[in-house]
Amino acid sequence: MDKGKKEGDVFESIEGLTPVDPKALADFQREMNEQVIPEIVKVVQERRMLAAESRHWQLKC
Amino acid sequence: MYTWISLNSSADLTKLEAELSSEFGPARVAKKLAGGISNAVKGVLIERNYVDKDYRSTYYNFYAKKGQHYRADCVRLHFFDGTVTFDEKALKLNCPEGAKALTDHYFGFVVLRPTGIATIGRSIVSPDVRSGASRYIISAKHKVHLLGYKLFIEGFPSMDQHIDISVCAHAACWSILRHYSERYNIYREFLTHDITLMAHQFDPGGLIPSKGLEVSHAERVFQEAGTFPVHVTRDNSKPKDPSFYRQLIAYVESGFPLFAAMHKHGHAVAVVGYAWRKAVNTAIPGMRYAWDEIEELSFVDDNQLPYVPVPIKGGTPYSADDIDAFIVALPEKVFYPADAVDRLAPALFKLGAVVGLPPQDQTIIRYFITTGSALRHFVRERESEFDPKLLAAIMTLPYAQFVWVVEFATEAQWAVGKVAARAIIDATASLREFMPLWLMHSQSDALVFNRLTVSADLGSGMGALKLTDTGHGGFTRMEQNLRPTRTK
Repeated sequence: MDKGKKEGDVFESIEGLTPVDPKALADFQREMNEQVIPEIVKVVQERRMLAAESRHWQLKC
Repeated sequence: MYTWISLNSSADLTKLEAELSSEFGPARVAKKLAGGISNAVKGVLIERNYVDKDYRSTYYNFYAKKGQHYRADCVRLHFFDGTVTFDEKALKLNCPEGAKALTDHYFGFVVLRPTGIATIGRSIVSPDVRSGASRYIISAKHKVHLLGYKLFIEGFPSMDQHIDISVCAHAACWSILRHYSERYNIYREFLTHDITLMAHQFDPGGLIPSKGLEVSHAERVFQEAGTFPVHVTRDNSKPKDPSFYRQLIAYVESGFPLFAAMHKHGHAVAVVGYAWRKAVNTAIPGMRYAWDEIEELSFVDDNQLPYVPVPIKGGTPYSADDIDAFIVALPEKVFYPADAVDRLAPALFKLGAVVGLPPQDQTIIRYFITTGSALRHFVRERESEFDPKLLAAIMTLPYAQFVWVVEFATEAQWAVGKVAARAIIDATASLREFMPLWLMHSQSDALVFNRLTVSADLGSGMGALKLTDTGHGGFTRMEQNLRPTRTK
């Protein structure tokens, strides 16, 4: 059995699931694509740069 | 070789001064213990000629090479409650419930090194007898062999820095890695001298380590130890950078001790616990985070006994908000960083109409990492709280090893340790995924995501569950990584 089929079956084996209209999640999807993901990518990059600076801090107390 | 000291109160620990030779720094040790150990300790057993592996690692590689003569062995102090007595002739510890119950009356040990200065070596002390210890402490069970008894003590390792061959940063790295080797069987044990070597690409020899470490050296130590360190630095261009502290507490709540740097003090500590502030009904609208509810952090600082309670601000000599960088030594497979969860969590309110979340401006958000199996275990132990369909979904989803959990609670629920809803995020997700969730549920609804297809086709990649009301005021908050302190 290929992996795709196996994983699909796991999801399908959950009883009682009903379809969801993707339009109900449109606001969320738009916010993720237009705001959240670009902000996440930016903040992660900024943290990397800040970490690069703090790597040289001396600790000796 | 063994001496028992009975105590009426912790002030009697000054009796140690008369029992120990000067190379163990008895006056300083006695004063420190008397000031920081609670009155629940009623007996101290002094174990002389103790061979301590951590001291020996520094003895073989440093002290034995010096002109001044140093002993090769140490003294170990063991702490007991008032039910335990010592038969000096038979070299036997007695307690009313029998030898097997000795562990229940044991509060841990402190090794004293024969180095004259900074003599407190490897120590595992129970937070229960540490005056002022915070409510929740990261801990592991440590095995102790004493007089043929096998005892266990739950706590976090600590030691003074050696000053001459190791500094605060070495001690913090050692504490964290010793905790890892006891808590997780995939990590090996590293001795004090190992840590000083791991910090550098080559053996700097002699006294070089005492000249201090850079934060990058600590990061290197954790890499060499087989962990995957994440280094997070406060952004001083943002006022207070609250996201930095929210991430800090998220990792601590996940059970990961932090290597924390305070640049202005040139100091490093291990952050090992916290205490919530007393729940308050503010009635002031505004979303809050778990960090906003923290009263103090608990530090293991090589200048003090362990579990130092440190207020968020206004403390002496430092406050929690003096931390401006930390390293968390993560296992592999945590790809989705806390920065991403911190930004994603408030966006999940956009799913509120489908899942049923409390109003955003009345919610306290808490997030942390756990394993899929720990999540299942937690739910299994509280299965009556869950609609059977939701329980089946939680048990069935094929999580990667680690998940981020985001909990949403109203102020009233927070006060009683309950939550209204939870989101389960794939810790192996990529930064650019718009739907990195496995599951999001409240008491009335759940959204379940098929991680195989949801990114390509949202419609077929998710399903909804309508849940029956199980008649409770909220799910139990998931608190299982830290040990609650039982002050004695």
